[in-house]
Amino acid sequence: MNKNVAEIIDALAAHQDNASIEVLEELGTNSPDNEVREYTSRALVRKNVHDSLKIVIINQGKGINDLSPAVAMSTINEILALKDKSEVIRILDDTINMHSDEAVKENARSVKSLLALS
Amino acid sequence: MRIDNLGLKIGQKSVNPFKTSRNSTTNPFQNVSFEGNTLECADVFEKFKPKNSSKFKMISASVVGSMNKLRSRFTEPIVNFVNRVRENVSSAWDYAKNTNISDIAGIKNISEAWNNTMNRDVLDIGKDISNSISGIGKNISEKMSFLNTDVLDLGKGISEKWSNLISKINHNKITKDTSVNELRAMWENEIALEKAVA
Repeated sequence: MNKNVAEIIDALAAHQDNASIEVLEELGTNSPDNEVREYTSRALVRKNVHDSLKIVIINQGKGINDLSPAVAMSTINEILALKDKSEVIRILDDTINMHSDEAVKENARSVKSLLALS
Repeated sequence: MRIDNLGLKIGQKSVNPFKTSRNSTTNPFQNVSFEGNTLECADVFEKFKPKNSSKFKMISASVVGSMNKLRSRFTEPIVNFVNRVRENVSSAWDYAKNTNISDIAGIKNISEAWNNTMNRDVLDIGKDISNSISGIGKNISEKMSFLNTDVLDLGKGISEKWSNLISKINHNKITKDTSVNELRAMWENEIALEKAVA
């Protein structure tokens, strides 16, 4: 991965403006590069806010639902490493209860189980 | 037989001991005829008398004698002169045969002058060629200088653009204070560059 891109992602992750989340979602999670998608998902998890966590949990093909196992597992590990998991559990419960896509519900259920075991 | 044995002395008129003719003449060939022709020659013996020479004749004789003496004096040096010339010619021929033409002083000088001239001409020709080549090189150099200028301008332009790009990137060094819009622009620029490289 390009070093400049990594620095940009890190800067956006540390940024408090919600516009940074939009940039990460638009340019990072939609990148054709697995490494960029993985690094962006972990940055969104580290923000640990509702808008950033929602992107990597409820969207099909992004975060824990990415087609790349490396990106999905890396995102799950970053979620498990969060100190404050309250917002993640809330979003996982809403996804398991209200999401229309069964695969997304299954992935949210698996991540919640891992959180319960950790 | 010596004249002295005959009892004769020079200038002495005497009886001819070889007198065969009937006349008492001194010419032994006076009555001798060859096929009927009598020799009509003078009796040089009888008629030879010392004559009283005139003063003019004496002077003339002295002049002739002096000339003879002079001739005799000149004869030997002339012979020696001719012999010397002959010897000189022969020695000159041998000298010519055995001497290298370049060793002859005059020829040597001419040869040196020729060589100097030729060398000078060759040097001049070489100088002209050198000047011509130098001129050609100068023209090429001048043309290449334009090319170099163009290349340098091109390189300078590329360098300036590259420096501006680098300075812009350095100026936009990513920090926490960098705005989201700037970060978006930078990220989009990186994506564009990656697409361009690919």
